[in-house]
Amino acid sequence: MSFREKIHWIALVGLLSAFGWYFLNYPWEIANSPKGMYTAVWMLLPVTIIFLVPMIAGAAFFAIRSPKEADLKEDEREKGIHLRGTHLAYYPLAIGVQLNIFVLINGFNYGYAVTILIATLVIAELIRVGSQLYYYRRGY
Amino acid sequence: MPNSFAWDRSYIIIGVATDPMAQTPFTNDIRTLRFLAGEMTQGDLGDKVGVTRQTIAAIEQGKYSPSLEVAFRIAHVFGKPLEEVFQWQRD
Repeated sequence: MSFREKIHWIALVGLLSAFGWYFLNYPWEIANSPKGMYTAVWMLLPVTIIFLVPMIAGAAFFAIRSPKEADLKEDEREKGIHLRGTHLAYYPLAIGVQLNIFVLINGFNYGYAVTILIATLVIAELIRVGSQLYYYRRGY
Repeated sequence: MPNSFAWDRSYIIIGVATDPMAQTPFTNDIRTLRFLAGEMTQGDLGDKVGVTRQTIAAIEQGKYSPSLEVAFRIAHVFGKPLEEVFQWQRD
C-alpha cells in the first residue's frame, strides 16, 4: 500500500469519526433558530480537532516509517486517480448546493442551512476519498 | 457476442472503467525484462522511470496503461524498442 493510499484511509476514518460525531450530537430541536446556527459553527471546532489530530499523527507516523515514499511526488497514475475522485465529488457538491437553495426558500434557515452545507461537503469528501481508495485498490 | 454489446453500453453510461479487473488492451513483458535485467525490482524500475512501485505493478498486471512518455522510458531502461515491451491487443 502506497503512502498516499494510507493517508487516504486515515482521511476516510477521520471524516467518518469527526462528522459522525457532529451529526449524531447536533441538537436538531433548535436547528431552525439563530442558536442552532451558532451551535453548528461552534461544533466545527471539536470536529476539526477530531479530524486533524489523527490525520497529522498518521501522516507523521507513515512519513517517519517510509520517508522515501513520503517525499515522492504524485506520478501520472496517482494524478489520474486524484482527478477521477475530484470529478466524482463534483456531483454531490452541485446537488447539495441546490438542495440548500431549496431549503432556504422553504423557510429552513440557520442551523439547517449550515448543517446541509456541512453535509454536502462531507458527502463530497467521502465520495472523493472513497472513490480514490477504490481506484488505488483496483490499480487504476 | 450479445454480452459485449451490453458491456460497451454500461461502460459508456457510467463513464468510468467498470470492468472488475480493469484490464487495458495492452500486454507487456516488463516482468520478464526485469528478471533478465538482474532481477530488477518494481521499485528500482519505478525509480528509474519516475513512477511509484505501485504504478509499475499496475502496468505489469495490465490494470493501467502508462502514458507514451512512461512507456518509452520503460523501454529505454531495458534498451528495447517500445513494441518489444508493450503489445496492443487488437479487438
